Amino acid sequence: MKRFLPIVLVVLILSGAGYFLLKDDNKEDKNILKESFSFGEFNKRKSCSRLPMFLYKAGIKRPMIDLSQNKYKGIAFYFGQNFSNVLHKKEWEKYDYMGTYSIDNMGNIYLAPNPFISIKATTFNLQKAIYKMDSQNGNLQRWLVIDEIAPNQNNPYGIISLVYDCDDNTLWASAIDKSNYKGSRGRIYHINPKTKKILQKIEGFDALTLAIIHTNKHKLLLAGNARDNSLYAFVFKNSKISNGAKKVLTLPNPNLHIRKVKVIGKNSLKIEAIKFNYSLVAETTKKVRFVYIATYNPSTNSWSIIEK
Amino acid sequence: MKKEIKISLALFIVGALTIGALYYKKREKKLNEAHNLALQDKSDKKIILPSSSENAKKLKLVKEYIQDLEKNIKEGKAVLPLDSSELDSKAKIAQDVVLKNSNFLSDTKDTNGRLLHNDIMRILPAIPSTLNDKSKSICKDKSCYMVEKYNFATNTTTRAIVDVDDKKVLEIKRFSNTQPDISLRLTKIARAIALKSPEVIEELGHTPTPNELSMANVRTNLKESPCENKNHLCVAPTFADHKREKALWAIVDLTDLKLAAAKWAGLGKTFTPACIDERTLQNRYIMENFCQKDSSYSKFGWSFIYHLTGSDGLEIRDLKFRGKSVARSLKIVDWHVAYKGLGADKVDTSTPVYVDGGRKVEFVKGQNNEYTFGYNDAMGCPMFSTSVVLAFNGPQIKPILKDNQEIGFSITQDFRNPKWPMACNYRYENKFEFYKDGSFRVVGINLGRGCSNKAIYRPVMRLDIALDGNKERFATYENGAWKNWKVEGKYQSTSSEKMYKDKYLYKIVSAKNGKDGFYIEPNRGQFDKNNRGDHERVFVTKFKESEGDEDLLTLGSCCKLNEDGVEPYIKDKEPIDKENDVIWYVPKVQNDDRAGHEYCWADSGIDKDGNPIVKLYPCIVGPKFIPIKSVEK
Repeated sequence: MKRFLPIVLVVLILSGAGYFLLKDDNKEDKNILKESFSFGEFNKRKSCSRLPMFLYKAGIKRPMIDLSQNKYKGIAFYFGQNFSNVLHKKEWEKYDYMGTYSIDNMGNIYLAPNPFISIKATTFNLQKAIYKMDSQNGNLQRWLVIDEIAPNQNNPYGIISLVYDCDDNTLWASAIDKSNYKGSRGRIYHINPKTKKILQKIEGFDALTLAIIHTNKHKLLLAGNARDNSLYAFVFKNSKISNGAKKVLTLPNPNLHIRKVKVIGKNSLKIEAIKFNYSLVAETTKKVRFVYIATYNPSTNSWSIIEK
Repeated sequence: MKKEIKISLALFIVGALTIGALYYKKREKKLNEAHNLALQDKSDKKIILPSSSENAKKLKLVKEYIQDLEKNIKEGKAVLPLDSSELDSKAKIAQDVVLKNSNFLSDTKDTNGRLLHNDIMRILPAIPSTLNDKSKSICKDKSCYMVEKYNFATNTTTRAIVDVDDKKVLEIKRFSNTQPDISLRLTKIARAIALKSPEVIEELGHTPTPNELSMANVRTNLKESPCENKNHLCVAPTFADHKREKALWAIVDLTDLKLAAAKWAGLGKTFTPACIDERTLQNRYIMENFCQKDSSYSKFGWSFIYHLTGSDGLEIRDLKFRGKSVARSLKIVDWHVAYKGLGADKVDTSTPVYVDGGRKVEFVKGQNNEYTFGYNDAMGCPMFSTSVVLAFNGPQIKPILKDNQEIGFSITQDFRNPKWPMACNYRYENKFEFYKDGSFRVVGINLGRGCSNKAIYRPVMRLDIALDGNKERFATYENGAWKNWKVEGKYQSTSSEKMYKDKYLYKIVSAKNGKDGFYIEPNRGQFDKNNRGDHERVFVTKFKESEGDEDLLTLGSCCKLNEDGVEPYIKDKEPIDKENDVIWYVPKVQNDDRAGHEYCWADSGIDKDGNPIVKLYPCIVGPKFIPIKSVEK
C-alpha cells in the first residue's frame, strides 16, 4: 500500500488546490439577499424597558425624550401636562448631539451620537462611541468606544442607531462610517453590555435604524437602509443573526430612508423616514420626517403602505 | 523511476493543467460578468442634463402657449381656459360658470394684487367619489361636471363641482402642494419638448417619432413631483427601447417649460419611475462626474484639473499657462456669515440657537452692547460631505465676451441650500475666470438671501500660487514702493490705499525671476457694475499640506469680525520670502435689502406670465492676477 502514497498525496494536493481555486468566492452583496421570505404575523409586545430611576425619584412618570436638538443639545426630557415642563442639564451637552436611544430593563439609556449642522475638531471622535445615561443618577458617560469607527470629511457619521434586546439583555448598534459613494461598509454590532464585548459583527450593511420584532415565524432584527428606501430584516438564530438581509418592504418615495420603525398594532408598523445623503443634516424646517403606516397581509405575504 | 511515481507525476501535471484551465475559465467568466455588469451599470446610471433651457422656448407649441399666457395676463385674466376642442358642450358651460365665480378665482392673485399663472386642466363629468353628500343628491338628477384648475405660482389645485343644468357652482375644494392631471395642450407641449430635445435625440441616436413616445397625461405615477423643484409641475415622457430592454425617461418641467433631466432605466420591474427624480439624478451626476473623479480642461493656453471637494467648493488644481506652472490649488474654503445686533447683555448663550434654515448660530459679544451672530457655510459635494450648501448642477464652462469677442472663459460652480431663496438659505457661486492674455481672476459670488439685511459675508479664498520652482516672493505696495514680506503675516486693506499704477496693491513673483509673476488687482468695483469692492484682508503663509491643501474643516469663527480663521497659520511667523507661499484673500461685504440698492440679496416675485421668479442681486468679490510681463512691456 505504501507505494500508492505518492498518488494519494497528489490527489489530495490537487483536490485541495482545486477547492481553493475553484470555489465560488463571490461575496458581493453578501448582506442583501434577493429572495423573498415569509415575514409572519406580529403584534405589539410589552417592552422590558423601565423608566430611569432618577426620573422616577424626581416624580417624572411619563417623560417624552427629546433628541431633536432643536432646543436642547444632547438629551432633554419633557414631562407634565402637555409636556410643558422640561428637564435638561448642562452636563448632558458635553458629548454634543444625540440621534437615537434605547432603554434597558434597568432604566439605563443608551444613546447614539449624531453630527449636526457643522463639524468641529471633536465631532468625528464623538461619533466613535455609544453613550449611556445611568438609570440611578442620570449621569451621562462615554460608555463604549469602538476604535475601528472612523468618520471623516466625506462621511461624518459613525454609530448611528441602537436597540436593546430584551430577550437576552444585549445591545445591537449600527455604524455607517467607512461607507462611501461607491459602496456600503457599514457594520452592525452585537454587544454584551455587562462585559462590553462585541459578540457578533455583521459587515456590509448601512443600517440607519434598528428594531427588534417577533413574528409568528421569526425573531427579526429590522434595519432601515441608509442607501435606499427599503426596510430589511436579519433573521435571528440562537441569539445571533444570520448573514444576509432580506428585503421586507420599500417606501414609495425613492429619496427617503427609514429612520425609525415601531410596531403599533396587529401586523401594523409605523415607519418614520428622512432624507439622507451621508451629508450633514442642515434643515430643521417644518417637515423633516415623513411618516408611513405599513400593514402586513399574511395571506399574500405583502405590505400596503400609506403616508400619514 | 517507479511506475507509481510516474503515474503520480502524470496525474499531477494533468490535474494542475486542468485546474489551471478551469481557474482561467472561471476568471474569464467572472471578468466578463463584471464587464457586462459595469457596462449595464454605466448605461443604466447615465444621466443627461440639458445644456440650455432655451431650446424648448423656440418650439411653436411652446411659443403659442407663452403668447396666450401673456395675452391673458394683459387682459387682466389669470386663468388660461381650456381650448374648446378639449370640451364637450356641457364642459364649455362648466368652464364659463367657474370663470365667473369669485370664490373659484379667489386664489388667482397674490397679496399685491398681481395675477398668478393658472390653467384649467380638466373638465369632466363629475364622478360620485369626488362629491360631498349635498352635491351627490343634486347630481343624481342634474348634469354635474368637475373642473380642475392648477395654480403654477402656489402649486395648488382647485377642484369645482358645477351643476351645468342650473349653471351653479356646488362646491370648491383647494389642495395645496397638489398637482392635477394635465390638459391635452400641456401634454402635447411636454411631448414636443421631449421629442425635440437635442439631448434626447443624441441619446437615442436618431430623431424620435411621436409613436416612440409614451406618456399618460398625468404628472407621472409618483406621489411627489419628479422635479428638482417640488413646487413645479413636471411630467416624464418615456422612449422605450425594447431591443435593449431599456427606456429613456425625460423629465419635462411644465412650470419652466423645459427639459429638466433625462435618464436611462431598465424596462423591468427592478426599475421604476420612482428612480427618476431630478434632484437625485443631479446629485448622482455631480457625484460621479465631479466628486468621484478629476476632470481636466485646456483652452487658450490654459490647462488645469478641477473637481468638487467635500467642503471647500470647486477646486482648480495644477493650473498652467502655456505649459508654465501658475498655481497648485485655487479654492474658496468657507463663507463666514455674521449678523450684527444690539443688546448683547440680553443674549442668552446658555443653550444653542438655530435659525429656520437649520444652522447653529454662534454669538460673539462685542463692545457698546453690540454682538454678532451667524455661522460658517461650507460648500461641497451633494452627498458624502460635511457641507450644508451643496453643489447644484455640475461646473459650467462659458466664454467671456467683450465687444462680441471671446477674450477668455470661466468655470463656475453653483452651490445652494435646497430651500434657497427662502430666508436663512444661501446660494454661492465659485467662479474662476481665465483670459487669453494670461491673467485670471478668482471670484466669489453671493446670491443672498440670508436671514436679515445686516449680514456681513466673508469668503475665505485659498490661493496656492506655484510659480517657476514653486518658491515665491510676496509684496505689498506701500508708500510708493513694493515691500517684500519676510515672514508670515496679514494685511488689512483700507480700500483707499495708493496702488501701483492705480490698480495693483499686491504682487507675487517667482524667487528665481522677479518679473515672472503676477500683479494682484483687488476689486474696488471696477470689474462689475454697482459693485462695492472687496474690503479685503490678506494673509500669506508658508505652504503646509495640513493647512488646507486637502479639504479644510470649518475655519475659525463666523462672527469675530477681526479674525478670519487663518490666524493660527501665521502664529509662528515662519519665513516666507523665497518659500512656497500660499495667499489667503478674504473679502468682506455687507448685504443690502433697500429697494433699488439690493446687494447680496434675492427676492421672490411674479413674472409677466404670472409665474414665480427669483430676482437676483449678486455681490461679486475677488482679485484679478495680471502677468507682470504684460503690464511692464
